[in-house]
Amino acid sequence: MTPTGIEAVFLANRDKLVRFLAARGAGDAAEDLVQDLWVKMAGRMDGPIANPLAYLYRAADMLMIDRYRSRRQAERRDQDWAEDQHLQEAGPEPPAERALVARQTAERVAATLTALGERPATVFRRARIEGIPQRQIAAELGVSISTVESDLRMAAHALAALKDQIG
Amino acid sequence: MSQDPVNPIDDVALDWALRMADPARADWDGFTDWLEANPVHAAAYDRMTAALLDAEDSLRAHPDVIAPEPVIVEAEPPRRRPLRWIGGAVAAALVGAVGVGLWSERPQPYVIETAAGEVRRVPLADGSAIMLAGGSRITLDHADPRRAVMERGEALFQVRHDDRHPFSVDARGLALTDLGTVFDVRLGRRMTRVAVAEGAVMVNPRGAALRLDAGQAVLAEGNRLVRQTVAAEAVGGWRDGRLAYDGAALSDVAEDLARFLGRPVAVRPSVAGQAFRGTIDLNAVRRDPRLLGALLNVAVREDGQGWMLEPRG
Repeated sequence: MTPTGIEAVFLANRDKLVRFLAARGAGDAAEDLVQDLWVKMAGRMDGPIANPLAYLYRAADMLMIDRYRSRRQAERRDQDWAEDQHLQEAGPEPPAERALVARQTAERVAATLTALGERPATVFRRARIEGIPQRQIAAELGVSISTVESDLRMAAHALAALKDQIG
Repeated sequence: MSQDPVNPIDDVALDWALRMADPARADWDGFTDWLEANPVHAAAYDRMTAALLDAEDSLRAHPDVIAPEPVIVEAEPPRRRPLRWIGGAVAAALVGAVGVGLWSERPQPYVIETAAGEVRRVPLADGSAIMLAGGSRITLDHADPRRAVMERGEALFQVRHDDRHPFSVDARGLALTDLGTVFDVRLGRRMTRVAVAEGAVMVNPRGAALRLDAGQAVLAEGNRLVRQTVAAEAVGGWRDGRLAYDGAALSDVAEDLARFLGRPVAVRPSVAGQAFRGTIDLNAVRRDPRLLGALLNVAVREDGQGWMLEPRG
């Protein structure tokens, strides 16, 4: 059986995806990761995909982001554990406290966005939380796409700066 | 952005993070080149992307902290009309008027509830009237006849307009203010619908301030408001036993039928999303439920006390 659709696209672009993953920080593991990626993706393909190559790239990109985030989380857990050892008595943070901290973080994120003004906050929410295309956001707000882009950039900067502060 | 604490590489990485998440702007070859140009680029991109995702996850987990304004979406794609925003000053004036302490007495709330299949007219002290459809519940206030809180079902408001004291309705969090009006409010399981027969209604005067004129409706689902066009004369047609639809899901139609006919009407999931366009004559259907089958293009099966709408075999 000749491969069709996304499989054909995958096979034709396998080398490019390996190169991408290597540059993306996977190094020598890029070959293995590309194979993992395909196994994962082949299992949950439903419906036609508009741009299969971009879809594969994005999936590879997200795979690396997930790896980064889970690595960072593990490091944080280790660090917490080390601190707990240090404090002997202190068990893990109680759930209520953790929920409170999470809520305070969300409030700071929201405050950072609202401080930029109503439009940048709306643009960020529509684009990044709700996944609305920028063209549509521009139409809804009656502004140009470049305004939407610059609002988005401004919001992203503010959030990156906040992240620097709160870790 | 010179005072920005983000360093130059992070700055570029942040731009890539935004860009690669946007299918319309993603450039995977260009991005690969940038990553290959310097090994620290990948790490910066990870950090910046994670910073954004962390912030977004945090907001998603606490949706109330940003309390988004409802988003208005035009429902008719072929002709895109400009959104009808009302000026902030007008909206503010309306809010002011609603908030004025004219009805300074203590609230004396009372509840009116109808059984499924029942329709009741509720006259108000100011000359307005509310027609309450079956299976509905509304809270009113003896101390302030210009306020109503819809809790369930559907109601047609025939409001005597008073510029100084607009009539306001709270429809499951959607604030409505009349601008001289006959309008219908329906609280469905999934969405709230407001349709205007005469005059105009302001939806959410404090926020989006969306004005609905006669022949217009808005569907609210979560934070999303979708504007629709309706036949003004069909709004509140249920008073005369007519239910008019323009592309409603069968599950919504069944919900209405149950409320107006006073018996359970269920839909098989395979046809629940089927769209219906047309008018249902409730009296005719009461006499002969099989009519529904032909009208809705389903099979109607008697199911104990009620009906089950199924795909036609």
